[in-house]
Amino acid sequence: MSWESWVVETISRALAFGTPLLLATVGEIYAERSGVLNLGVEGMMLMGALTGFAVSMGSGNPWVGILIAGLVGGAFSLIHAFATITLRANQVVSGLALTMLGTGLSGVIGRAYEGFPLWSKLGRIDVPVLSKIPVLGPAVFENQSPMTYIAIGIAIIGWLVLFKTRIGISIRAVGEDPATADSLGISVPRVRYLCVMIGGVLAGVAGAYWSVAYRTAWSGGMTAGLGWIVIALTIFAFWNPLYGLVGAFFFAAMRVLSFRLQNWLPPELLKAMPYLLAILVLIVVSRGTLQKRMGAPSALALPYTRGED
Amino acid sequence: MNKRFLIAAMLILALVGGAVVAYEPGEDLKVGFIYVGPIGDFGWTYSHNDGRIAVEALPFASTVIVESVAEGQEGPVIDDLIAQHGCNVILTTSFGFMDGTLDAALRHPDVFFGHASGFKRAPNMMSFMADFYQVYYLNGLIAGALTETGKVGYVGAFPIPEVKRHMNAWAMGVKAANPDAEVHVKWIYAWFDPGAATEATNALIADGCDVFAFTEDSPTVVQVAAENEMISFGHYGSQMYQFAPDYVVSGQAIDWGKIYVDFLTKIYEGTYTTSNLQHVDYWWLMTQDAVFPEAAPGVPINPLYIDALKAYMIDDPTFGMISAYDLHNIRLAQFSDPGVTFDPFQGPIMDRNGNEVVQAGFWLSVDSLITMEWAFENIVGPWPNEPE
Repeated sequence: MSWESWVVETISRALAFGTPLLLATVGEIYAERSGVLNLGVEGMMLMGALTGFAVSMGSGNPWVGILIAGLVGGAFSLIHAFATITLRANQVVSGLALTMLGTGLSGVIGRAYEGFPLWSKLGRIDVPVLSKIPVLGPAVFENQSPMTYIAIGIAIIGWLVLFKTRIGISIRAVGEDPATADSLGISVPRVRYLCVMIGGVLAGVAGAYWSVAYRTAWSGGMTAGLGWIVIALTIFAFWNPLYGLVGAFFFAAMRVLSFRLQNWLPPELLKAMPYLLAILVLIVVSRGTLQKRMGAPSALALPYTRGED
Repeated sequence: MNKRFLIAAMLILALVGGAVVAYEPGEDLKVGFIYVGPIGDFGWTYSHNDGRIAVEALPFASTVIVESVAEGQEGPVIDDLIAQHGCNVILTTSFGFMDGTLDAALRHPDVFFGHASGFKRAPNMMSFMADFYQVYYLNGLIAGALTETGKVGYVGAFPIPEVKRHMNAWAMGVKAANPDAEVHVKWIYAWFDPGAATEATNALIADGCDVFAFTEDSPTVVQVAAENEMISFGHYGSQMYQFAPDYVVSGQAIDWGKIYVDFLTKIYEGTYTTSNLQHVDYWWLMTQDAVFPEAAPGVPINPLYIDALKAYMIDDPTFGMISAYDLHNIRLAQFSDPGVTFDPFQGPIMDRNGNEVVQAGFWLSVDSLITMEWAFENIVGPWPNEPE
């Protein structure tokens, strides 16, 4: 087997597997940049996966399914926003509760949708002209879901907004030093609500991709831990959507390779490989002077009350 | 005073409620089922629930279910089924329930117990299993006949004896139909992980495989194969068929009701008592109709593939030149025959490291089947815990 086919297969599958990771990671980066840790990603993704599947089946249009899944994800994340921003509850506890609630709720409601194939699924496309480029064409522009390109676009726009606009400065200010941001006239709760909802919408869309494009079926708990990988990727990406782009597809490539390399390396080691690499990178990068540049929001997971600092 | 009275009353109630009078043959049976997963898994638990529905049809039996019970949590659930629901038979359906079921059997000597897929028993607790290995062999015959690339793929959950036994049986079927074919294996280390199953199937496709079987509790492998216009075998067959009606050739189906009805009827008739189950171990196969090949309900082989199977000729050591279709049906008849005149695991069998794992003239015992670690000679890929 030629090296080209290895490169093409690996990149092509990594893009497919990494798409939901990227979407949800960009969303979680926004939530955490504003100072709200949301461990409810898995639950929000499952709500999105069920909604996407059910609405696509009912409407016959997968795009409608993905859209509504985003809205449901956003609405679902409001539970976490209300608990942690308005009521100032512990963010870890509230996030875990959101995951449990989403897993349970989607499991119960989703029973009626178990065991059905989805015929109105989101198909794959070849990008004209670009797919003719040798190696790069078949790897990136052939037989891919349009959602993959949308996810990449969202990551780039997410980076531009966060680092090149006034809105982005406000979001980061709220996550770094909410008291100062508040004194500058930025509404801390409003920014945080907005960012948590962006996280919810993108997690919902990511879940819908899983059930209407990647797999085209619904089963309770079908994300099987993707939401937790997203939490890790957010740190891995140093809270930067562009690094998230690299991280999500890098992790996905490792996961894909973990199956392809099983003939030569022990599968137990391969299964742990993506996680080991993530830890390794974190250790290397968080050493010494680099630590300052990592970008962890200073006020992450801290509830804000005006005048308490 | 009042409080103390209340506690005393509750204690008495609990004692009265918990005390089950010894069962007399001919009395009605109340059967409590404990499932490890949701009925909606369209796999293991779904099939047990189908068996329970068969029990409901018995005039002397009614049932209660508790689903999605975590392994290790079965003890209190069993006590509750006996005390609150008056169950006099408890059936637990996951390997991890074994010790908890045994403890409960010792706590409740007047209640009948049955545990699936384990090996521990008691005077009032039997063990039971319906195994797919013969069905996998039949599926393998078809896979070997229909592969065009000479490579077939298997997505395995965990490298444990049960899955290895099924892979080996499948690989032996493949070899009987196609001596040159390779069986490629990938492990996903999960019973349910659609993402991992998708990527494992894609990795097998990249390796050149074009026919697939699997152990994973979702139709993912069937769907990925069909997207690539490749064929596959359904696991718990008939539920998977609708996901790819043109590409599911056959599959493994199970009828737990056969075991349940037999066990409960024998209790009802007085054959089984709470003191003679110590050596009752159901290991039911195709002879008892507990397992069978199935593409769709009542359809053993998808009709779309029958012509191709009739056209594919095999040079069989016993039958000479014979079509894959005929050989499949002869083997099916032999497995179903009450005398069982053929078994895939009949010696001599060499593993892929050249060890003789079954001697000439011998069939593997159930004990050897349930502890199987070796890999058959045409298997390619990792095999944790493989004997040297």
